[in-house]
Amino acid sequence: MNRTLKVMAIVLLAGFGFPMVSRAGDIKGKVTAQGIKSPENIAVYLDAVAGKKFDASADHVVVDQKKMTFVPHVTVVQQGTTVDFLNSDPVGHNVYWPSISGNKKLAHNLGTWPQGQKKPFQFMDLGAASLLCNVHPEMSGYVVVVPTPYFAVTDKDGNYTIKNVPPGHYTILTWSEEGKATTTPVDVTAATTTVDITVKK
Amino acid sequence: MNRAATNFAVTATLVVLGGFLWILATTPRADAIPAFSRKYQTSCSTCHSNYPELNDFGEAFKKNGFKFPKDDDQFVKEPPVLLGAKAQKEAFPKALYPGEIPGSVPIGFRYSGNFNWNAKQPAPLQAAGFTPQTDLFVPNTLTIISAGSFGQNFAFWIDDDISAGGTGAGGGLGDGYLRYNDIGHIFKLPLNSLNVRFGQFELDLPFSQARTIYPSGYDIYGETAVAQPSPVAGQTVFQTTNNPFILGTPQRGIEFGGYPNNGNFTWSIALVDGTNSNYGLGQSIFARNTKDVYIRVSQRFNLERDPVSRKEVQAAGPTGPRDHTSIRLGGFYYAGTNELNYGGSQFGFLGVISEPFYRAGGDVRFKYRNLELFGLGMVGHDNNHSVDTNAMTITTAPAVTFTGGFAGANYWVYPWLIGYMRYDFVNSPTDFANAVSQYRTRNRFSPGFQILVRANIKVIGEYQYHWGMPYVDPTTNNTLYFRPNSFVGGIDYVF
Repeated sequence: MNRTLKVMAIVLLAGFGFPMVSRAGDIKGKVTAQGIKSPENIAVYLDAVAGKKFDASADHVVVDQKKMTFVPHVTVVQQGTTVDFLNSDPVGHNVYWPSISGNKKLAHNLGTWPQGQKKPFQFMDLGAASLLCNVHPEMSGYVVVVPTPYFAVTDKDGNYTIKNVPPGHYTILTWSEEGKATTTPVDVTAATTTVDITVKK
Repeated sequence: MNRAATNFAVTATLVVLGGFLWILATTPRADAIPAFSRKYQTSCSTCHSNYPELNDFGEAFKKNGFKFPKDDDQFVKEPPVLLGAKAQKEAFPKALYPGEIPGSVPIGFRYSGNFNWNAKQPAPLQAAGFTPQTDLFVPNTLTIISAGSFGQNFAFWIDDDISAGGTGAGGGLGDGYLRYNDIGHIFKLPLNSLNVRFGQFELDLPFSQARTIYPSGYDIYGETAVAQPSPVAGQTVFQTTNNPFILGTPQRGIEFGGYPNNGNFTWSIALVDGTNSNYGLGQSIFARNTKDVYIRVSQRFNLERDPVSRKEVQAAGPTGPRDHTSIRLGGFYYAGTNELNYGGSQFGFLGVISEPFYRAGGDVRFKYRNLELFGLGMVGHDNNHSVDTNAMTITTAPAVTFTGGFAGANYWVYPWLIGYMRYDFVNSPTDFANAVSQYRTRNRFSPGFQILVRANIKVIGEYQYHWGMPYVDPTTNNTLYFRPNSFVGGIDYVF
């Protein structure tokens, strides 16, 4: 009997223990714009976590130059990710940034390449790079380099979803072209966590 | 250059630069853009290295009938209004052939106003026509510009100074023409080998006078042929040449031209009125029956090493697309026949006096990175006659000839800061005999700068070191010489 109870206890504990292994959850929410044109294209991402290291994906991210615009307008990548800059236009373009988050030592110019070709660049420094073309000064785009693989870009209504975030305590940061950065603490569980943020001018 | 002029030029430059710095610091970003900028939602600098001067892309855009050289439809942000569905082409001639007009009225405005400092006139010259030492914002010109395309085949351009003031400012229509692009495809010719335009237009000059970046025109373009000075009492023998033709003014007529070989070769032949007359607008003092012909050819040699880059509209530079390193050589020839004495207006005993004339020249332009060097040389020749009013005879006289040209350099220190130096010269024996200048050759040196405060706003400054002009001191009867040196500074903006 005692032996049976022990076996049953082990089975029950194992049964309870199995669901207790950490399951990733989503963080979703809505960014509201105050004093800025639109809540679209705002980067929402999780700050670095002490003691945790995240390896960047080997997959390249593509930023295109099409009809004299950078597509997408805002691209968020994890630190260490390579971005391929593609020229889909039948006119000459180039890509350069005068700084990354104001640090002019990180300025870079990729030169010129013809239609259909791309040039890669691996972003190793955190911050936002303002993408420019020195022939078409109206062209503007951004690459926002963040420390973790947990990030999203808001849609035209300000909605965002960051998927597969392990449970734990985090800090959500935002980057906006026109608005101030925000900081919001969040506790993530296995379920979906909703965090609404207001970005102000 | 004397000390006073130097000091004033330096002071004026500092004032202009100070104004520029103030503008940089306080003026919000200029989002206003002229017609093509609006159509394509792109900056002026896409086509202009220093407006209105065109970069390689802008020249290709212009040659393509004011459309992007490749895949224009992709870049148009303002869709045109269709004047008939495209399928109507199949219904033609039983239906109107379909066309299109720009989606919004393609109008731009340009304003320029200059501050002038002029060397102090000697008193004897003041009596003939006073020029103040300083003048604020003259000429003061507002120009309306409309240009674009009506679909694939038609392009148009109209510009008019709708208000002007001050010495040297002109009002009235500049260019007003319609162009049919690539009519050569009917004859199976390569793309853009044969275009035709008609209306009023600046000739296909090696360097545009109408759309120059400089506040002062090219002296040789404004040279006329005049043999006879003002008559003196008792004079009975007269030289007849009095040709008002000026190369740099718009002409009315028809022009055939083309840009085969990727636009590296250009050619044009124009048949024009040639007289710059105001026929139909007032007393027609310059109209004549004859028509003139203008021919121009030029070849651009692309010196880019990379063969792929050579074929592109712009070269691939290490920091972005740029103009090709190139040298362009060209030649032009203008021929006409001036006619005088209609109805015996000058010499009642004579009929119409016909005097053939020509202007011929060559030009060169070299571009390398931020540097542009250019030059033009020209010779003018007008047949001449001598009329004896006592003997009532007319005989052939030595032709009126002149030579001249200009040479210069532009350098882009930054994309927004351009420095330049230009030298103009005209050698005219008859002008010298008519006391136009101290020496047979008139020289002018014009150093200057231009600052693009924004893509559509400029601050300019140019000093002109002028040739000496003779005048007679009434007290001593000695011939003295005066250099009407000047400094021009001003603002120029388009929207």
